[in-house]
Amino acid sequence: MKAVDPNLRGLKPVLAAFAAKDRAVGEMLRYVLLIGIGGLVALPLIWAVLASLKPLDEVYAYPPTWSIKPVFGGQWSNYYQAATTLPLFRFLFNSTIITVCSVAGAVLTSSMAGYAFARLPWRGKRFWLVLLLASLMIPAQVLLIPRFLIFQSLGWVGTYKPLIVPAWLGGGAFNVLLFRQFFRSIPREVEEAALIDGASRWEIYRRIMLPMSKPAVIAAGLLSFVLHWQEFLDPLIYLSDFRTYPLSVGLRMYQSLAGVFGNLLMAAALIALLPVGVVFAVLHKHLAGGLRLGPGPSAAPPGDLLSDAVQ
Amino acid sequence: MTPTPTTAVTNGTSRCVGVWFALPWLVGVIGLVVLPVVGSLCMSLLHWDGLSLTRDVEWVGLDNYREILGDDPLFAKALGNSLYYSLIGTPLVLAASLAVSVLLSRRLRGIGLFRTLFYLPHVLGGVATVLIWSWLFNPRFGPINAMLGWCFATVDPLVRLFGAEGSSSWPTPKWFYSPQWCKPALILMQIWSFGGAMLIFLAALQHVPRSLDDAAAIDGAGRWRRFRHVTLPHLTPAILFNLVTGLVFSMQAFHQAYLLTNRAQDDGLLFYVLYLYRCAFEPPYRVGYASALAWIFFVVVFVLVLLAVWSARSWVFYEGER
Repeated sequence: MKAVDPNLRGLKPVLAAFAAKDRAVGEMLRYVLLIGIGGLVALPLIWAVLASLKPLDEVYAYPPTWSIKPVFGGQWSNYYQAATTLPLFRFLFNSTIITVCSVAGAVLTSSMAGYAFARLPWRGKRFWLVLLLASLMIPAQVLLIPRFLIFQSLGWVGTYKPLIVPAWLGGGAFNVLLFRQFFRSIPREVEEAALIDGASRWEIYRRIMLPMSKPAVIAAGLLSFVLHWQEFLDPLIYLSDFRTYPLSVGLRMYQSLAGVFGNLLMAAALIALLPVGVVFAVLHKHLAGGLRLGPGPSAAPPGDLLSDAVQ
Repeated sequence: MTPTPTTAVTNGTSRCVGVWFALPWLVGVIGLVVLPVVGSLCMSLLHWDGLSLTRDVEWVGLDNYREILGDDPLFAKALGNSLYYSLIGTPLVLAASLAVSVLLSRRLRGIGLFRTLFYLPHVLGGVATVLIWSWLFNPRFGPINAMLGWCFATVDPLVRLFGAEGSSSWPTPKWFYSPQWCKPALILMQIWSFGGAMLIFLAALQHVPRSLDDAAAIDGAGRWRRFRHVTLPHLTPAILFNLVTGLVFSMQAFHQAYLLTNRAQDDGLLFYVLYLYRCAFEPPYRVGYASALAWIFFVVVFVLVLLAVWSARSWVFYEGER
């Protein structure tokens, strides 16, 4: 608070005391609000944990109870049962394979394209940039059917190729744009010094640009991880053997348990959420930095990503 | 002067090195975007089940479009459902995320914990959370109706005091088992994952110059006026970004509807993409018809985005262009 008129110098300590009190009240209020909202946000997850540990008769008790008894004397065997009723770990394994392969491809190819767009001269670059922005506008639903027919004619239906290969071919327009913005904010001088020292473009990309863009790599990686982990429609249409299902589609099979074994359903859902939670917990500190689209603290906020397209 | 590094850069590398770096993307954009777009346009003019190339292909011109726009009640229903979900849900998500991000913007002990907690639902997303929420909204065994019941039970004596009817007449919504309440339930679920928009707002809030805020405070502007006239204008680009991405993503909602749809809803959760999916991938496999649906969808989404961007001219403030 700097709201002190210089003429009122004598009053300064008094005003400061008021301001401090005002701030303390404001802080209290803010905490109360935050804790209230936090409670609302956490409640579904807390409920799910409680429900997953209940014995069957309590799950279908009416009216439902909020007792926290399950936490202490919980039926942890529910988790074992949930994991063995259907091949949950198989689904988990499948999801991991698909997601890891896709994310690696998406980060590699989108950063390469982003580098080409940010720094390299090539024929028709402006045209391709317009196409990049246009492809951002085209909803996946328009591409859904023709892509299916293309992959079908290649004989890829029933394999993981339709889920992984597109990630290796550009990794999504948004990621390309993210990398382009980030690379543009790295000083040219760094690159030029390396060029004069005889480094090739690939070495510059590999040894300088990528390491300097760690926040963008983490942001793009995390975003594509979440995207591929949660992808539902693609595995639904491309996979038919349930042993090849990733978690998203496999979990759907638990839905039939909803009316009978609600506790197992909750346990399975929580097991499915766990890997995302862990990855997020490890990486979340870097996320805001990557989305700020530049290495420095003054880099553009992500809202400006669109201004390029708008203007 | 020695030749400037810039010329050295352009001279030192061949003109096509960029193509090599962009090659995977180029292959992807041509093979998996441009080609499908053209293919989809052509297919939308056919009657075709997508199974065989030689039989059963019939050129019908704009018949698919005519049928969709003139003679398909499910199309109108699906479009209405998606627009309802998108146009009501997105502003609510924006309001929630904006309010929370302002709460989180000032330094406070333990703020990181809250930020993580609020962002978590957005990351978790997907099928697992839909299953959890379907349970929360269970009309009989779910906690949401239980809490509503308790609230009503508390209110009930008061109401009785004023001579109204008794507790047995308090109806709790049937949520996913009712045509009216299934979409509000889904919107509540959408609001829960406001963290994505919040993150964008938080990043933008860091760019609101503190000096302007302080200057306004010295001039005697209260909290609300400072927020309204100093902070908010700086947030408008982020609001536009969140508005556009929010509208587009919610229009494309699929897995929620696919998982939660049931007969009791009277097609209340038949979202556009779900309808498209059913036309294309469920018998009788009307691939041409579904392609036409996809193009109409594209136009609708495009118009929504255009409207948002067009309206943005009057309310988005870009620094450095006053």
